[in-house]
Amino acid sequence: MPDQIRNVCVLGGGTAGWMTAAALSHKFKGQPLSIRLIESDEIGTVGVGEATLPHIRNFNSALRVGEPELMKATEATLKLGIEFCDWGRIGDRYIHPFGDFGSDFHGVPFHHFWHRLRELGDTTRLDEYSLAIMLAEMGRFTTPATDPSRIESTFRYAYQFDATRYARFLRRYSEANGVIRTEGKVVDVTRHATTGFIESVRLDRGDSVGADLFVDCSGFRGLLIEKQLETGYEDWSQWLPCNRAVAIPCETRGPLTPFTRATARKAGWQWRIPLQHRVGNGHVYCSDFISDDEATEFLLANLEGPPLAAPNKLFFQTGRRRLFWNKNVVAIGLSAGFLEPLESTSIHLIQDGITELIQLFPDREFAQSDADEYNRRMGLNFERVRDFLLLHYVANQRDDSPLWLHFQNLKLPDSLQEKLEAWLTRGLIIKYEFGVFLPPSWIAVMLGQNLVPRGHDPRADAAPADLLAKNAAAIRRNVLAAAQAAPDHAAFIRQVGAASETAPLVAPSSSIVDRPPA
Amino acid sequence: MCGGGLAAHMAAAALARQLPRSIQVVWVKWRDPRDTDLFYGGVSGPTAYSFNLSAGVSEPRLILGTDTAFSWGTRFDDWGASHPSWVQCFHLPLPVVGGVVYHQHLLRLGVGELEPLLLPAVAARRGVFAHPPENGSGPLSRAEYGYQFDPYSYREPFGMSATSSGAQVIAADIAEVDCREGRIVALRLANGQSVTGDLFVDCTGPDARLLSPLGVRAPQGRQLKAALSHSPGGKPGAPCRILVARDFGWQSETSLQSGRARLTIFAPETEALALAAHGATPSHHGEVVIGRRDVAWAGNCVALGHAAAVIEPLTHAPMLVLQREIERLLTLIPVSHDMFVERREFNRQGAADHRHAENFHRALFETELPFDTAYWLAARAMPVHETLALKLTQFASRGLLVAFDLELFNAEEWTIQHFGLGRRAARYDRLADQQPVNELQTAFRNSAREIEKLVTSMPSHGEYLANLIRYLKQKQW
Repeated sequence: MPDQIRNVCVLGGGTAGWMTAAALSHKFKGQPLSIRLIESDEIGTVGVGEATLPHIRNFNSALRVGEPELMKATEATLKLGIEFCDWGRIGDRYIHPFGDFGSDFHGVPFHHFWHRLRELGDTTRLDEYSLAIMLAEMGRFTTPATDPSRIESTFRYAYQFDATRYARFLRRYSEANGVIRTEGKVVDVTRHATTGFIESVRLDRGDSVGADLFVDCSGFRGLLIEKQLETGYEDWSQWLPCNRAVAIPCETRGPLTPFTRATARKAGWQWRIPLQHRVGNGHVYCSDFISDDEATEFLLANLEGPPLAAPNKLFFQTGRRRLFWNKNVVAIGLSAGFLEPLESTSIHLIQDGITELIQLFPDREFAQSDADEYNRRMGLNFERVRDFLLLHYVANQRDDSPLWLHFQNLKLPDSLQEKLEAWLTRGLIIKYEFGVFLPPSWIAVMLGQNLVPRGHDPRADAAPADLLAKNAAAIRRNVLAAAQAAPDHAAFIRQVGAASETAPLVAPSSSIVDRPPA
Repeated sequence: MCGGGLAAHMAAAALARQLPRSIQVVWVKWRDPRDTDLFYGGVSGPTAYSFNLSAGVSEPRLILGTDTAFSWGTRFDDWGASHPSWVQCFHLPLPVVGGVVYHQHLLRLGVGELEPLLLPAVAARRGVFAHPPENGSGPLSRAEYGYQFDPYSYREPFGMSATSSGAQVIAADIAEVDCREGRIVALRLANGQSVTGDLFVDCTGPDARLLSPLGVRAPQGRQLKAALSHSPGGKPGAPCRILVARDFGWQSETSLQSGRARLTIFAPETEALALAAHGATPSHHGEVVIGRRDVAWAGNCVALGHAAAVIEPLTHAPMLVLQREIERLLTLIPVSHDMFVERREFNRQGAADHRHAENFHRALFETELPFDTAYWLAARAMPVHETLALKLTQFASRGLLVAFDLELFNAEEWTIQHFGLGRRAARYDRLADQQPVNELQTAFRNSAREIEKLVTSMPSHGEYLANLIRYLKQKQW
């Protein structure tokens, strides 16, 4: 066996940095691997992605982190999907659930039967066959059943949490696992004269940190992957032109919803993520179509409660690093690329990056084949998320602003174009195996945004119409009964001991920001 | 649809059974004088069970109505200069130990033999069989099986299922295919009848009698010939096909209920040698070009089986690809006259399936060849696709199994091939080091012992079949 890597340096202590440190320190526990994380309290973190995908639960359970403990520490709520408002047409709403619609019959996906019923005059929403949606709409929650024959097994869930607290939680976890945190800012980098590999970084306090492998979690700047190695960036803004975001938390109003909301706006969209102690809000927009001030004002005017902090502005370019792994640097998080958080994929892509790094963990010879395979896999992950995000913009009928008109004439990537054609022609979802979004996600968005297929799988016509209607009604009844039997979302959080001990945050009487009238 | 071989029978059954009555299936049962069903290899994999069931052919029906026997896979003998022998068996996912995939621990320990840890492989060598329990635990529940069969008898229950499910059968030869503007308008039959349709399904074998007139090019691969014969009598032997490398190509022996089938595959240049080695007078001969047509679906005509592609029957890939083609057609039965989306998707998936099969087969020749004769040199000269190159490089480098979307062969099958051919990795996953060596060695030893013990208690393939047939007859299946 070649020489093993003994030192890893994680540069940056945001969500990506601490997730990486936590996972590596857990996975390589007991092995001669020293992990050092460099961060500076003076550099703020983006805390990107307060909403997550169900896969995060695998990450946490692999770390053997208890759910109530984590939820308490991060003010987490439970998430059954995302509610999309005003996508498609203004006034529309739908939920993209973490779960299935009905169940396949003789290999034919359920939505084909729904489509046939629709042609026969049935006006039932497909949503009524999804337990995740029904629970979300009722503001209820329960954990999925493990018995696959039960309707309660047909959904999954994720969290909405405070990403900064999540990083803090993982910092405690990592340090307990032996990760050494070094406070400081990188002021200089030493590279190998012939290979160009990073040998060490020098910090503003004068100390130098050397390592075999560097994980660049330094955010958009990409201190090592870009500033040093000049890896290059693949710009995807021709497809996803939003390039700014402004974020602000506000007081909670109304019941605790087990879903994130994304509302389409004239020049982008607005997120709402309910946590236990506050609501996270943000406005993602394209600066070609709205000024920064207007975007901020618009967000402030559309908060449900008083703001709790000053607006935080982010500037980004959608795309990905040309190489995620270059020489002895692996970029994870915002240094690897950025895709707007419309489908809560930011933390998921961090998780993907970590998982692949562990699977392809190099040795000191740094075989090029390890990096090539990592880059291939992460490239595919990013591309498939990109296509799914783009779907939301192109599958709509809005023409009320230049942004939406822009999408009407967009040339799509072939992979997405073919998916749309297959769906519209006959409700066919072109499947893939490697990628985060499964067919129910594609169905939810396409139907939710009024892309109703012209046809369906002819096999759905095989059953007599009355029998089909009867069976469909039975599924709806089951779903409804299961949803009604579940407790209220907030009550569930209390029941499982995951309720935060922090009182809901309240804005100071003199508001931090001047809030324009709603 | 048109054709009279295995593909036609299986497709007719599946279509007639699963499509709504509003779609009429007319089956022009045309007997291909160029019989190529022997190129399906007489072995299917674990997915055959559910495919057959959905086509109306249950396992009891298959066992009682045909010469079919059970199969744990294919045993390759002398497949390389160092005469390696391994059972390319079917197996559910191997366990993950300490978060690390199974074979990485073997690589770490320098264990070259995977076979003692695979029940179907051990059972195949011993000639024993039992159905894996559906919800059980233990090594037998991790085993999977397929069938070994005579294609000429295997197809019969499918034909019966097709007719009982409403397929209208016309036994006639094709006189002419009437095409206009890139589509088939009608088939003119030798009996004077004319058959029209919205969609034409070509199961006429490598000549693709329906697809060819639409201008779709035939494959340009290497040529292979085959001879098949049956020797009746005796108890069924091993529940696995035994495939031996020979200078002219290879030869397989497959145990069926009533005897053995011998299949000899060879390069045309060595025909005399191959036929001499074949011994018995072949009941079936065939000659094909290996490869696929540019597209399997053109206009309103979709080709299945050998009309679309011929795959060398080294593994169960020919049957697996055929099943997937039929399933894909069912999923893509056109909803309009245009068929653009269906055609594009069928062809895209077909090309991917074919590449996956080709990759697995081409990888079998990435070893020190046992012979430098025409067959072996031609097989080795086939290009290595970049996806296969990646798979081989990554396994050699760190024992990594690179996978692509919806492959035909799963991680276990690739692992078994790599180990079978003696491929070793330069490195292993360092996370494997977290498991104490002695604990792992004990665990592997115990696992091998448990398999050994279980296999010793299993009935011979022949006994099992006899008891099963007796039971099924008593139950009046």
